[in-house]
Amino acid sequence: MENPYLIILVTSSLCGLLAGFIMHRSDFCVTGMFRDLFLFRDAFMLRVLGVLIVVSMLLFELALLGGAISHHPFPLLGTPSLANIIGGFFFGVGMVLAGGCVVGTLYKMGSGSVVSIIAFVGLLAGSALYAEFHPWWGAFAKATSLTDGAVTLPQLLALPSYALTLPMALFGGVYLWRHYRRGELTRSTLLPGSIQPWQAALVLALLGFASYLFVGMPLGITTSYAKLGASVEALFAPEHVASLGYFTAMPLNYTPPLASTAITGGAGPQLDAVAAIQYPLVVGITLGAMISALLLRELRFHYRVPVSHYVSALLGGCVLGFAARMVPGCNIWHLWGGVPILAMQSLLFLLGLLPGSWLGSKLLTRYVINSK
Amino acid sequence: MKHNTIKMDIRGQICPSCLLLALKEVNANIEAIKRGESEIRILSDDRHATATIPDAIMKMGISTSVEKTDEGFEIRIFDEG
Repeated sequence: MENPYLIILVTSSLCGLLAGFIMHRSDFCVTGMFRDLFLFRDAFMLRVLGVLIVVSMLLFELALLGGAISHHPFPLLGTPSLANIIGGFFFGVGMVLAGGCVVGTLYKMGSGSVVSIIAFVGLLAGSALYAEFHPWWGAFAKATSLTDGAVTLPQLLALPSYALTLPMALFGGVYLWRHYRRGELTRSTLLPGSIQPWQAALVLALLGFASYLFVGMPLGITTSYAKLGASVEALFAPEHVASLGYFTAMPLNYTPPLASTAITGGAGPQLDAVAAIQYPLVVGITLGAMISALLLRELRFHYRVPVSHYVSALLGGCVLGFAARMVPGCNIWHLWGGVPILAMQSLLFLLGLLPGSWLGSKLLTRYVINSK
Repeated sequence: MKHNTIKMDIRGQICPSCLLLALKEVNANIEAIKRGESEIRILSDDRHATATIPDAIMKMGISTSVEKTDEGFEIRIFDEG
């Protein structure tokens, strides 16, 4: 194909719009999945996340075996280090306080949540602020690298990936099927216009798969938060932005599927491959949720909420944005993309995310929401 | 018997505060609700709350209903006796 960007722009835009619409209709809040486990002892939505992971695992593996996937493991995934688990921990704290993860904030913002707009501002600030600390944190990640070059668990064990993923997908599938038969994957009350979360999980798994096939990697958006933050910062301090190594590096360098030339991208303010892949997702998810809310005649902007909610969203957003760069990557990237191929960075991220969400839930009920 | 309606306007708030505030109010009035003397009417504009609040309340053996109005969603928490 002459222009490698065209297929990327089209795929990412469509994936974003559909994901935003579906997430709004099913309230597919990844933050809630983890938070509610600790807050209400409720694992309903975590099982739904299980559906997404198991289906993605199967799709990715079958496509790999069938030769349909060109990059495995996909670009930007690196070797595991302690940075992943520590980043995951702060990511968990931040997302619970922000009231949504990097993607949840977008669909909530699109459907009219003013608190989420504030969280979005925090996310940009936190992501851009990270660039100041990157030299130090990058060195820490390198020094605590846990493998010599293995990125996925099958690579570490020198096994073909299907030897691990297919049995895991089978066991996961049987486990989830049993819950489904008992009615534990279905919401008992559903408003007209809503979608059952497990059905949304299937659609989102297909969208991630489409992105892997046509863009060369599953869905991910957090580098673009740093990019947006850098673009704003560059309006005021262009020399400073240009002097930061994090903003001048171009870690993405790959040849997309169906393309003949390599494309590159990084976190700096320039329009490059990262912008082509991720900006349409950011805009698409927000717009998709807005369209969904408009069609239901539910788009309203309410801002009269306790001040503590705004403070929590802003601070939580900052922590979340900063942590997403520490990891590096977000929950969508790691849980919907990395975990299904057993990327060790993603598994460590998940390990950190659990205690982080627990602490976030404690802070939320203690300092933010007056529920006692 | 005097029937008491407790109204809560939590528009603008999102989960988990919707569910936490609803549970706080229900727990504070649980006996009166179970005797059929009180009911709670929550006005929310969070679609998520229309699933999570009824799910949690029904597990407590209390009835709920959800109605979409011009102002948002009205979630009723009551006991049919």
